Amino acid sequence: MGRFLLKRLGLAVITLWLLSVLVFFGTQVLPGNVARRILGPFADQAAVDNLNEELGTDQPLLTQYWDWITDLLTGDLGNSLALGVPVSELIGDALVNSLKLAALAFVLVVPLAIFGGVLAALRRDRLTDRVITIGGLTLSVVPEFVTGIILILVFGLWLDILPVSAQAPPGSGFFTQLKYLLLPALVLVILLFGYIARITRAGTIESLDADYTRTAVLKGLPRRTVIRRHVLRNSLLPTIAVVATQTGYLIGGLVVIETLFNYPGMGRLIVTASRQKDMPLLEAGVLIVGIVFLVAMLLADLAYSLLNPRIRYARAE
Amino acid sequence: MDEKQRRVDEVRRERSEVENHLIDEYVLGRITRRELVRRGTVLGMSIPLLSFVAAACGGDDDDGAATATGDGETTAAGDVQPGGTIRVALIQPTTEPNPLLVQDEGGAGMLGSTGEYLSFSDENLALQPRIAESWEPNEDGSVWTFAIRQGVTFHNGATLTANDVVETFEKLINPDGGSANAQSALGGVLTPGNIEAPDDATVVFNLDAPNGSFPTLVSSANYNAIIIPADLDPADWGQTFEGTGPFKLQNFTPQVGATFVRNDAYWGEKANPDTIEVKFYAEEGPMVVAFQGDEVDFVEHFSVAGGKALLDNPDVQVIGIQTATHRQLHMRTDKEPFTDKRVRQAIGLSIDRNALVDGLWEGRADIGNDSPFAPVYPSTDTSVAQREQDLEQARQLLADAGAEGFTVQLDTWDGFEIPDLAQLVKNYAAEIGVTINLKITDSATYYGDGVFGNSTWLDSVMGITDYGHRPVPNVYLTAALGGDPKVGVWNSAHFKNDAYDELVRQFVAALDVESQKGIAKQIQELLLDETPIIFPYFYNFLSAAKPNLLNAVSAATGQFDLSKAGFTA
Repeated sequence: MGRFLLKRLGLAVITLWLLSVLVFFGTQVLPGNVARRILGPFADQAAVDNLNEELGTDQPLLTQYWDWITDLLTGDLGNSLALGVPVSELIGDALVNSLKLAALAFVLVVPLAIFGGVLAALRRDRLTDRVITIGGLTLSVVPEFVTGIILILVFGLWLDILPVSAQAPPGSGFFTQLKYLLLPALVLVILLFGYIARITRAGTIESLDADYTRTAVLKGLPRRTVIRRHVLRNSLLPTIAVVATQTGYLIGGLVVIETLFNYPGMGRLIVTASRQKDMPLLEAGVLIVGIVFLVAMLLADLAYSLLNPRIRYARAE
Repeated sequence: MDEKQRRVDEVRRERSEVENHLIDEYVLGRITRRELVRRGTVLGMSIPLLSFVAAACGGDDDDGAATATGDGETTAAGDVQPGGTIRVALIQPTTEPNPLLVQDEGGAGMLGSTGEYLSFSDENLALQPRIAESWEPNEDGSVWTFAIRQGVTFHNGATLTANDVVETFEKLINPDGGSANAQSALGGVLTPGNIEAPDDATVVFNLDAPNGSFPTLVSSANYNAIIIPADLDPADWGQTFEGTGPFKLQNFTPQVGATFVRNDAYWGEKANPDTIEVKFYAEEGPMVVAFQGDEVDFVEHFSVAGGKALLDNPDVQVIGIQTATHRQLHMRTDKEPFTDKRVRQAIGLSIDRNALVDGLWEGRADIGNDSPFAPVYPSTDTSVAQREQDLEQARQLLADAGAEGFTVQLDTWDGFEIPDLAQLVKNYAAEIGVTINLKITDSATYYGDGVFGNSTWLDSVMGITDYGHRPVPNVYLTAALGGDPKVGVWNSAHFKNDAYDELVRQFVAALDVESQKGIAKQIQELLLDETPIIFPYFYNFLSAAKPNLLNAVSAATGQFDLSKAGFTA
């Protein structure tokens, strides 16, 4: 187990390093330089040169990258070039916000989708199945800004029972924050339900048709026990993989939802940073999302082997 | 009557030549009362004095008091409850709150929340004294002396003196790291080292050349010019938002918002609200929705395109300010086919400005006459004939110039209503046989590095650029159209005309309205003839307030003044 984790850690570090290099040199392709972005198009060229010198963005790229990565290894994430505050502060707040939203979305969509998928599989090809499958698919195809606006209109403005933005006033209690996060979380539920439910359905159908299920039924076990003890833990394997791959998106990719609900999460932070070529902020943001992603994959793999003893982690080597 | 006349004479005896000239113009009916007040405050006369003069000397009595015009720039004064919390929606600042680096509305809103300026430029472009109690020019307007208010303290308790004012401006115009934005207004006007503080209550600005509009250039319209302590590094301003205003900072979270509380040690009338909560929004849509959903009481700025729901709702107080915010459609005078001015005139004649104003702004804009002289400026000569759409004459001009049926590329970017404007210009051009190919990118690509040779904006044959509001047209006249490359840094039309440059020099130096208008008339006519740039419109700055929120004041540069605001019972 120890060797397994160490190997994964090593691979993770390499992946993250490659990611940082890609991001750094990739954004150089974008036009404009940092100081020009900050000061605007009408600023004097001398002022722009000055600011570039102050920020260190006039140095050769490799030097800038080297300085950044050496600082990172000592724990110094640097300051945001555009906002002047330590990156760690900005990332810290944004990450917590994104985690809250992602957690709520998860808690809502995963049980719901698994239940829906299993139900659809059990009632395969009947009305329930059709409704869940087609309904889920249709909903997940609708872009999130459409769903978001409809929800805001209906629940926020017409019925006036939920707030129209996701950021609760500072110092709000748990349930108040929940109320504010409910609408954006619902958007995510609508978006992800169809996908996760279908994967669960497929996995469940496969397990229902498997030999071990037939054996269990023939053994005389009650239906509920068969499902709980034998079918579910096999059908959930693909679901776990799918859910894990969604975490990266849920933490760092919710730009549209965060903008629509005015929620200061990681997605918006990263987009703003990339627009302004705010390298320290952008790198830190992307790396955090990368780390979250890799951790999620690791947990998924561990859960995998927990659920299915045949897939030993030793096999992964 | 005699007593009044005697008092008027006494007052006039004490006034300078320039000020008396202004009063003469009013008496002779050449300017309206509103313009008297506007111009008078710029020269340093107080509002009570001007009201007295206006009442005593009769003259043209238009809308009376120097506050109202059109739709209501401030909400009506009425019974407001003391205290309360006002929630404001503001566009997210793109930079840190550093007075030297701020260059957008969100940042200006932050600076103006706690900071104060020498004077506040209100919706009539009149200057209300703040840190400066009064100001006056010397004979030719090359030296301006400001009397600094005494008894003013910063939020940290330190007393404000003239030295703080001097240091604030020295930092702003410092060529080695000052404010690019402030320098766009003061470049060529004021050089570092020429500001003196002979005592704690006086600041003297020794200008590079006579300038009749100098006080506006150091007012709130130059939104970086909040007066900060001499020993404060502007880079640290964001930690305390140090200022002298009626509100002080409680807390600030980048990209989220800020909270301000009443400053009970304010030198003037204490603010009415207890707290102002500002929330940042990255986009306009969520701002409008938040207003409708009762999560904010005041939207600092919304556009016609994004705020139709607010404009159509009779329950929303729409506060509209006439401004000089505009778009410039430039044509390179040094590149075919635009080297012949008849071709440029033809393009100018092809567009239907009224249709543009109705279609893009729902009427909430003034039509432009192809010069930077917006109708809102008192120096604009409104007797100059307004260019109207005339397709036949346009076609004739093209035929005369031998330039029928050419094709040209128009570069611009995809912000605001600009793509719609570009499309409409293309349609109008098609009607006179000109084919325009649109190349619309994003602002970074269009502006590039902002220097000739490295910027689509400055290099393109035809392009559309957005310009923010300025209290006087000076910088538009010099930077956007000046022939000297050191001056005309924004001269996208590559316009070079010596007669024009001389007229502009005279305009900038002119101290009184009549001479300004006289020179403006010549400039306006010259530009109509040459048409290097088409100015289709100058649009209004719109804010929205809840119906029960009164006395909310906006400025076209993004600041808001809620010190007198409050909710009705």
